[in-house]
Amino acid sequence: MAEASPAPVLSEDAELVARTQAGDPAAFDQLVVKYSPRLYGLVYNMTSNHEDTNDLLQDVFAKAYRSINGFRGKSSFYTWIHSIAVNMTINFLKKRGRRFTMSLDDVDANIQNDKDFIELTSSSTTNPVREADLGELQQRLNEAMQKLSPDHRAVVTMFDIQGMPHAEISKILGVSEGTVRSRLFYAHRQLQNYLEEFRKK
Amino acid sequence: MPDEQDEEISKLLRLKRFEQPPPGYFDDFLQDFHRRQRAELLRQPLWRIAWDRAAAFFSEETAGHYAYGAATALVLLAATVTSVSILQPPKAEQSIAKGPERPPAKVEELKLDQRAQVARLPDLNDLTNRAAQSATVSLRPRYVMDARPVSYASGSSF
Repeated sequence: MAEASPAPVLSEDAELVARTQAGDPAAFDQLVVKYSPRLYGLVYNMTSNHEDTNDLLQDVFAKAYRSINGFRGKSSFYTWIHSIAVNMTINFLKKRGRRFTMSLDDVDANIQNDKDFIELTSSSTTNPVREADLGELQQRLNEAMQKLSPDHRAVVTMFDIQGMPHAEISKILGVSEGTVRSRLFYAHRQLQNYLEEFRKK
Repeated sequence: MPDEQDEEISKLLRLKRFEQPPPGYFDDFLQDFHRRQRAELLRQPLWRIAWDRAAAFFSEETAGHYAYGAATALVLLAATVTSVSILQPPKAEQSIAKGPERPPAKVEELKLDQRAQVARLPDLNDLTNRAAQSATVSLRPRYVMDARPVSYASGSSF
């Protein structure tokens, strides 16, 4: 998943938004094609469930399409659509509570070539990541994520997995950068505890 | 060291980027989106569609839109006032003042009116007497002397 993609070309988005507002649905289709992989990653890493992610993503774009005439351009479309996705996902997670089953996507084989993966699996002979099955690693990471509160999960997903800067996350969530950093700090402490056993395996 | 631990956690979490939906998922996503939108449109009640459109229309915060809204409200108000005044039944005083042209609306009024009319009618006996009198006068025998009595005739007429 190309999560840490470069900042979007805002003028292109603005043009597509203007065309959509003028009644050109094909322009919105281009925005859907452009943002669906990134938003999929955001929602999936918060829900750990492919079917829920698919439903939510459809709802996110449907809501964005219904509200696009109210989009004033005070923020970028990128920020706006991410806000919709995060808020809808957090609301969904709060309603869902603890009653859920994980439905995980497959791990791309390209992980074997990833710099972090190589580093994590080759640092020592007793490395738990190397010893663990890739499926088990995925399972434990998702379990650990699901133990975080939805607000903390959102911050971790955007910062650690998607590589967004603090400033962008604060705009999307509508909170200060200090709050983002604080949530991130607290979430990392929790994740260290949840993954402690796994790390010492 | 917290920073090292943070970095280790971040590295582990970054591996989640490699979790991918089934191949071709994003190719089909747009079609699924269109299909779902159409299905939702069919399911939506009419008031919801109207509400969404009105909300989108007024969300632009343009003065002209508020003028449209105000004008629509004014027209609706005028229509309501007019229809109320047309459909309202006339008051009781007006119906009395109008008098006999208007048929009485209530049963009591009908009875009263009937009694008044009966009271205004001449007495039947009186009428009968008058009729009898006039009949007597008109039927009195008229003696018309249309023939000359014999005695009047002259004897030496031949």
